[in-house]
Amino acid sequence: MYQIPRAEWYDLTRATNWTPSYVSEEELFPEEMSGARGIPMAVWETYDEPYKVTYPEYVEIQRQKDAGAYSVKAALERDAYVDRADPGWISTMMAHYGAIAVNEYAASVAEARMARFSKAPGNRNMAVFGTLDENRHGQIQLFFPHANVKRNRQWDWAHKAMHTNEWAAIAARAFFDDIMLCRDAIAVSIMLTFSFETGFTNMQFLGLAADASEAGDHTFASLISSVQTDEARHAQQGGPSLKILIANGHKEEAQKMVDISIWRAWKLFSVLTGPIMDYYTPLEHRSQSFKEFMVEWIITQFERQLVDLGLDAPWYWEDLTKDLDTTHHGMHLGVWYWRPTVWWNPAAGASPEDRQWLEEKYPGWNKTWGRCWDVITDNLNNDREDLTLPETLPYICNMSQLPIVGTPGDGWDVKDYTLEHNGRLYHFGSKADRWCFEQDPVRHQEHQSLIDRFLSGQIQPADLPGALAYMGLGPGEMGQDAHNYAWAAAFKKQAKVA
Amino acid sequence: MSDSQTDTLKPLKTWSHLSKQRKRPSEYEVVSTNLHFHTNNPDKPFEVGRDAKMNDWYIKYRNNSPLKHQGWDAFRDPEQLIYRTYNILQEGQEAYVTGLLDQFSERGNDQMISKQWAQELNRLYAPTRYLYHALQMGASYLHQMSPASTISNLATYQAGDHLRWLTHTAYRTCELAKTWDGIGLGENERNHWENDAAWQGFRELAEKALITWDWAEATIVFDVILKPAVSAAVQKQLGLAGAENADTLLSLLNDAQLRDAERHQRQTKALIDFALTNTDNAPIIQAWVDKWQPLADKAINAYCAALTDLPDAAEEARAYAAAVRQSFGLK
Ligand SMILES: [Fe+2]
Ligand SMILES: [Fe+2]
Repeated sequence: MYQIPRAEWYDLTRATNWTPSYVSEEELFPEEMSGARGIPMAVWETYDEPYKVTYPEYVEIQRQKDAGAYSVKAALERDAYVDRADPGWISTMMAHYGAIAVNEYAASVAEARMARFSKAPGNRNMAVFGTLDENRHGQIQLFFPHANVKRNRQWDWAHKAMHTNEWAAIAARAFFDDIMLCRDAIAVSIMLTFSFETGFTNMQFLGLAADASEAGDHTFASLISSVQTDEARHAQQGGPSLKILIANGHKEEAQKMVDISIWRAWKLFSVLTGPIMDYYTPLEHRSQSFKEFMVEWIITQFERQLVDLGLDAPWYWEDLTKDLDTTHHGMHLGVWYWRPTVWWNPAAGASPEDRQWLEEKYPGWNKTWGRCWDVITDNLNNDREDLTLPETLPYICNMSQLPIVGTPGDGWDVKDYTLEHNGRLYHFGSKADRWCFEQDPVRHQEHQSLIDRFLSGQIQPADLPGALAYMGLGPGEMGQDAHNYAWAAAFKKQAKVA
Repeated sequence: MSDSQTDTLKPLKTWSHLSKQRKRPSEYEVVSTNLHFHTNNPDKPFEVGRDAKMNDWYIKYRNNSPLKHQGWDAFRDPEQLIYRTYNILQEGQEAYVTGLLDQFSERGNDQMISKQWAQELNRLYAPTRYLYHALQMGASYLHQMSPASTISNLATYQAGDHLRWLTHTAYRTCELAKTWDGIGLGENERNHWENDAAWQGFRELAEKALITWDWAEATIVFDVILKPAVSAAVQKQLGLAGAENADTLLSLLNDAQLRDAERHQRQTKALIDFALTNTDNAPIIQAWVDKWQPLADKAINAYCAALTDLPDAAEEARAYAAAVRQSFGLK
């Protein structure tokens, strides 16, 4: 590190706004890309990033981090953990890499949006490091799964998934493209870094790292916790933007951006992280339930951060808190039932012991979700696997692009929230999903869900095999039950003993 | 269904999209290739409604660029730079620079220069933080707009390098001000950048480059026109002027940055060679060069006119820039 303390010269590195005269300020920072919202350049210069880092510090720290993560991988390579890991854990990794790796790389584009177009010089510099960070996250999370492509064709999806029209890939892109690739610089700082990265990456990278350590997967644990150290730094770019927006009369819009991003992130996590944490991760390695993680990282910690900044908890906070008990169970049931349509092998997570744990963590689970799994279990144990496999496609939400789910059992409550807009009928999985659409109908109106494409004849032949082909799933890629129904057979044994 | 259709897909040795190439993919290829899924559908880049405005920006300035290629994704960085190796490389380079700064601070470099030179530095060196920052912003634009991840990545690391140069300038400005208090170091740079005749050519070129939205034209303006001119006039000639004025530190620091600049030039050459595999592109690129080169010459002339110790500075700088263009196969 250089001799003179950083504090003495750091401000000069961000004294970089000037008044253009060969082109206009509006040309240099088009509103569409910059999103200054009429707040003058001089005000944006007061943006003060809480986490400060300089170039020489960055390359040194990051070189060391990489040395750590790559050496753990190299040291454990011969150990071939993957070959003896529980199939549920393998599915966790496959789902994670396919949904995350290439989107991390795409996040570098969003960071570059801020690095070029933010009117706040501190934001522009930090976003250069953010661009580099996301380049790292894309690369390292491709390099690690690539070592496994020789094992099984599903590992190919770590790279391939985002290039396909597989439904979960569409849902992931629909979220990330909306909040990070199709937004101006200031909106990116709020919707991606503040809203998504502050709360949700903790869930995915720290929560999952805890499970990974428990499962003995030290390579994955060290990888994703190392990724999170970068997220924790560059997630802090949104806070100063929010302060400036709030102080300059844009609180309402700031709140709206936060609310949209949190809701959409929650829905994606309910299908990705929820099943991973509560069903795929082998029971003995689950550190906390998905709900417990959500309550800790989102409901409690994130809400505190919102309040600290002078924002409110999103208007749907009560709905979300309630949904923590239900949504991801429905998503999981859907993913498992439609297992040929995903690139990983969903673990049912419905053995007798699993169900005991679920009932403990989610009282009432047996009376609701458990009933569906009873039917599935019976069918499997009566050699009627065919009845546990799909023939059609589920109804899909026009916002989250995920199946519309409800809670089964006596209180069966699935509800389609509809909206007619410009003569087209849209379907939503919740009030909040519909609300997200209503905030900016132009942005969403033309988009077609997988079902819309199916009904309009874009998917041919118009049946399940046609849909699988459309989604890019071939034999050997389509998901199957991770444990080949051993969990169901356990009930048969139980019955015999009794 | 025939047997071949129901056969389980066999595992491959690498990603399916790389498995057709004969060469075993390098680590660079495994982690860098075909990552921009938003180039897959040329009519609608993003998974939002078609009416979302960002689609138009990418269709207009990326997908519909006059520069065409069958498959930009086949481009490969000749340096095979990835994140991991970039940090190894630059941590080493920064250790070298830290050593330079320490040594010259011990030797009293700043006490040995004249007040007149300190004033020249205030006017001709300290304002580089604006120029380098403009390059940083330009690279960040190229990153988000390039039609292949392997092209974007060139700009990713280049943006980092430009922030590196800016950081050197900020640090040296602060250090110089400790010895040469009261001459405006750390205060007057913006005024010089906005008003001093020496800077106006570079500022005009930088501002106009920054609003060049077509990704390919922007690449040419930054990497073929502006950056070589900066290297020629500001890094090279100003460094020589430093040596003339007992400021060895400046010339060594600038030389250290030129190693980054030369790497950028090798990457640009490879990108242009790749683009020229479509012969339709040659006149397009040359027309952009012809359009922008006069602004670069003007910038070089204005800046070098201020380097009064070096009467040949402008001519040498223009020759350097011309040699870089020639190395790219351009006039
Ligand atoms: Fe990331
Ligand atoms: Fe991130």
